[in-house]
Amino acid sequence: MPAVSKGDGMRGLAVFISDIRNCKSKEAEIKRINKELANIRSKFKGDKALDGYSKKKYVCKLLFIFLLGHDIDFGHMEAVNLLSSNKYTEKQIGYLFISVLVNSNSELIRLINNAIKNDLASRNPTFMCLALHCIANVGSREMAEAFASEIPRILVAGDTMDSVKQSAALCLLRLYKTSPDLVPMGEWTSRVVHLLNDQHMGVVTAAVSLITCLCRKNPDDFKTCVSLAVSRLSRIVSSASTDLQDYTYYFVPAPWLSVKLLRLLQCYPPPEDAAVKGRLVECLETILNKAQEPPKSKKVQHSNAKNAILFEAISLIIHYDSEPNLLVRACNQLGQFLQHRETNLRYLALESMCTLASSEFSHEAVKTHIETVINALKTERDVSVRQRAADLLYAMCDRTNSKQIVSEMLSYLETADYSIREEIVLKVAILAERYAVDYSWYVDTILNLIRIAGDYVSEEVWYRVIQIVINRDDVQGYAAKTVFEALQAPACHENMVKVGGYILGEFGNLIAGDPRSSPLVQFNLLHSKFHLCSVSTRALLLSTYIKFINLFPETKPTIQDVLRSDSQIRNADVELQQRAVEYLKLSSIASTDVLATVLEEMPPFPERESSILAKLKKKKGPGAVNELEEGKKDQNAEINGGVEATPSTTSTPSPSADLLNLRSAPVTGSAAPSAGNLLVDVFSDTPSATASLAPGAEDNFLSDLEPPSESPLSLLVDAAQPSDAVSEDPALPIAEADELLNKFVCKNNGVLFENQLLQIGVKSEFRQNLGRMYLFYGNKTSVQFQSFTPTVSYTEDLQNHLNIQTKPVDPMVEGGAQVQQVLNIECLTDFDDAPLINIKFRYGGTLQNITLKLPITVNKFFQATEMPSQDFFQRWKQLSLPQQEAQKIFKANHPMDSEVTKAKLLGFGTALLENVDPNPDNYVGAGIIQTKSVHVGCLLRLEPNIQAQMYRLTLRTSKESVSKHLCELLSKQF
Amino acid sequence: MQAVPQSKGRGQLHGRCIGGRGAAGEVAVPVSPLSLSPVSSFSAGTEMIRFLLLFSRQGKLRLQKWYITLTEKEKRKITRELMQIILSRSPKTSSFLDWKDLKLVYKRYASLYFCCAIEDQDNELLTLEIVHRLVELLDKYFGNVCELDIIFNFEKAYFILDEFLMGGEIQETSKESVVRAIEDADMLQETMEEYMNKPTF
Repeated sequence: MPAVSKGDGMRGLAVFISDIRNCKSKEAEIKRINKELANIRSKFKGDKALDGYSKKKYVCKLLFIFLLGHDIDFGHMEAVNLLSSNKYTEKQIGYLFISVLVNSNSELIRLINNAIKNDLASRNPTFMCLALHCIANVGSREMAEAFASEIPRILVAGDTMDSVKQSAALCLLRLYKTSPDLVPMGEWTSRVVHLLNDQHMGVVTAAVSLITCLCRKNPDDFKTCVSLAVSRLSRIVSSASTDLQDYTYYFVPAPWLSVKLLRLLQCYPPPEDAAVKGRLVECLETILNKAQEPPKSKKVQHSNAKNAILFEAISLIIHYDSEPNLLVRACNQLGQFLQHRETNLRYLALESMCTLASSEFSHEAVKTHIETVINALKTERDVSVRQRAADLLYAMCDRTNSKQIVSEMLSYLETADYSIREEIVLKVAILAERYAVDYSWYVDTILNLIRIAGDYVSEEVWYRVIQIVINRDDVQGYAAKTVFEALQAPACHENMVKVGGYILGEFGNLIAGDPRSSPLVQFNLLHSKFHLCSVSTRALLLSTYIKFINLFPETKPTIQDVLRSDSQIRNADVELQQRAVEYLKLSSIASTDVLATVLEEMPPFPERESSILAKLKKKKGPGAVNELEEGKKDQNAEINGGVEATPSTTSTPSPSADLLNLRSAPVTGSAAPSAGNLLVDVFSDTPSATASLAPGAEDNFLSDLEPPSESPLSLLVDAAQPSDAVSEDPALPIAEADELLNKFVCKNNGVLFENQLLQIGVKSEFRQNLGRMYLFYGNKTSVQFQSFTPTVSYTEDLQNHLNIQTKPVDPMVEGGAQVQQVLNIECLTDFDDAPLINIKFRYGGTLQNITLKLPITVNKFFQATEMPSQDFFQRWKQLSLPQQEAQKIFKANHPMDSEVTKAKLLGFGTALLENVDPNPDNYVGAGIIQTKSVHVGCLLRLEPNIQAQMYRLTLRTSKESVSKHLCELLSKQF
Repeated sequence: MQAVPQSKGRGQLHGRCIGGRGAAGEVAVPVSPLSLSPVSSFSAGTEMIRFLLLFSRQGKLRLQKWYITLTEKEKRKITRELMQIILSRSPKTSSFLDWKDLKLVYKRYASLYFCCAIEDQDNELLTLEIVHRLVELLDKYFGNVCELDIIFNFEKAYFILDEFLMGGEIQETSKESVVRAIEDADMLQETMEEYMNKPTF
């Protein structure tokens, strides 16, 4: 019945939201919001103090406005006020507002921290959780400073409730992530590892996240967790699908915890301890086996949860990279998924295989799937999946399949999505270079790239092809011929013009022998593209032209004409104009020798890592690129594009000038240094030591609740001295009768009365509305009692409530003997007064007359009722009429011992409900009083206050009289 | 709630998905070179949900939860960008996609999209199930949850989310426990107040 209080009365808020939704235009919405803001502002500023409810409502409205995307610059103070409200909803809204609209105003922060501090100290788990959530949500340094030392204490304290522990663990995790320096390590860290053994699955799940983070930072300090994690994992993996009750998700036992444990294990190398390792391998095998079992449900949730564990297990197997058998099995499993009908699984299989491809054990196994992956690249409808396929092809590429893969990727490029073209271009360029056996293939490939996807060919790619051509004599002629042919196309990409211009400028002479590519033809071809090109390309071409003058003196007049033309020498662009002027002058005044020196062929570039690779890494971020090439230092090329990159070296005619301005420089960006494969990093970083912890040290914070022992039956009949008679009046109970009665409210057996002559013992049992009571009259003297007559009496009024039947007892009670009387009791309806028993007898001639209250109180007809907390509160709510509740606050008369209190409450007849009251110190009970005519449901709550040595007792029943009476009875028991 | 007049809502809950009309490929290109340095620098290596967005087919943000520190401006920019990317994806595509150095995991339920940003190495499938569990929780709490429930009871939706996830990590995987906690909290709204908070005795 969650609907009960969804609307919890904030009608004004609902109306406002609905107003906003009805706004026809953005303007109307803003108008309505401004109106509301003005209203709230005036309320907040008004002289009249707002009550909590209004404050809550307005703060909630402000929050709504803020979440709509409008700025809110007031209300923080009111929200902070709500934090210290005693009302739960007000507090909750206050915290929500603070979490969403954190404000760095230091005065406010102080107040917020204060409120949080109070809630953390409240020992009320609901309030504590709210406070912890707020700390985690805000997660600021100020918060960490204020609370980082307090939360570990809450986390490992023995009496913290499970839900609070969960919140504390994750809250600490958040603080640790944001401000690790502020979280003090210490004694708690060793205890936190043992939370892996906690009985409460929720606590373990939350704790594992924290532990994993701690392990990453300080693997050595936490290595004991490996064996604990393995044994926990093993227990989950081997459990049946129903064993874990609510922690089973669609027939998969504890998927979140399993995945987190597998993730935790990825912080460490394989366990060294053979037993632990064996157990872990067994787990991994079981997980792989389960993947082959038929699904227990057709629901996608089932398969997702199951496969989530499988993928995480495969990640661990890849991380270990030491079990060839498991690696190959993992690869086969992923191979199956490659053709699964679920797109998500295909996506993940492709992704996971990428990492498998880099393991020496599984590289070959991955390669067997090449056709499927190529097919995926061609046919997958989802671009993200195609991208994964391209990644995998890249990862699985080696010398044996590079030609096939590169050509497939090239042909895919023609239809590839724009979003991934650049990346594919980079990948093709890298593969072509890395696996080039003959460089003509490489040149072809790159030129194809430019032809197919020129727009996506970044500078790095064409710089690189030029570097390689310059460095390799064997390919220069082929390159010149190929670019010349490529430039023949009527529409060719500007990048092609750049590459063509550069290469012909250097090596055009190698093809000049052929009349079809004579110097002038070459020049005319290039110059035909000139006017369509951007400034930087034109600048490059001008350099090519001056190089032509050196290479082919016969072109000098033509080229000088071009340089001299107004469009060059008076070009609006300074760079172009300067080049035209300088080149023209150079060509006219310098001697052939000088020209030859200045315009000499470029010297080879120093060997360096491909700048393309660096680019790809930068693009994908650290860890994304498989570092397949070995031994190359991570160096990045500092590339200045455009003008400076062109051979404008004429003004500084140093033969060693780096034409492309590609100075080697140490990497400063974030991309390269750790850009290696994640696997490698983890291996090199983690120490090899492993955990070996003696299993078993389970901390059990739960103190078992002993069932209260029945008070022992003490129906002793001892001889005693005679004593004189008491009173003649049969009607009035003795003075201490009430007190005696009270002793029996929470117990059924015991000595009801004793004086020098007589002892009366009671033993009784009650079931539903019936009871049977045995009274044992013991003669403590050595003298016979005569005319012994116990009579049950009750007021006329009580007769309608209670029916008691009994038989007369033997009137003679011998000295030292005991007689027994049985009373059968039927409760007709609830009652307040106890019936009386009058005992008359003669002892040594004196008439003895004692009247007692029979220990029959309405609570004897309780039937204990167990119920979960939600039912309890639901019923509590149903019994909210003022007259249904009775409450009493009273001083403790006995030591406030919780075990004794529990025993008393159970003796009272109600069930003792655990985990209902948010405050673990409080007691909550429930029961039904069964009478012949009605059943009366009763809820009780007892709140001890140890400091004050007081209790507050609250009873709620459906009948006013019962509430009062029970409250009266029970309040005398403590 | 039903009494509130509405322009959009229940009637459209089971409407059809918008297809990737027009140049879907081009729309999907994240063009703005948004500097995401806080996100990137946060890649400390521990897995968790970075943020969670819940938005409608019409591109209205219904719920947002950020587990990383960003300015409001950045948040709005990211939100706009992601909604555009996801709303333009066609229905049969995978639920995952790369975005900057993060990975988006999303799923559509009726008229609402649930989208989580997680780190690259995170478990995508289980993130999908986190989303599903969240929907189950909302459903259990509201009873046949629909977009309007979340609009009108946004604060409750936040409370439910908070009970389930904390700092981007799953806090309690048991549905019973979470629902119990929420319902307890609800019950407590009236009961606790009067009974925890009478003047101390």
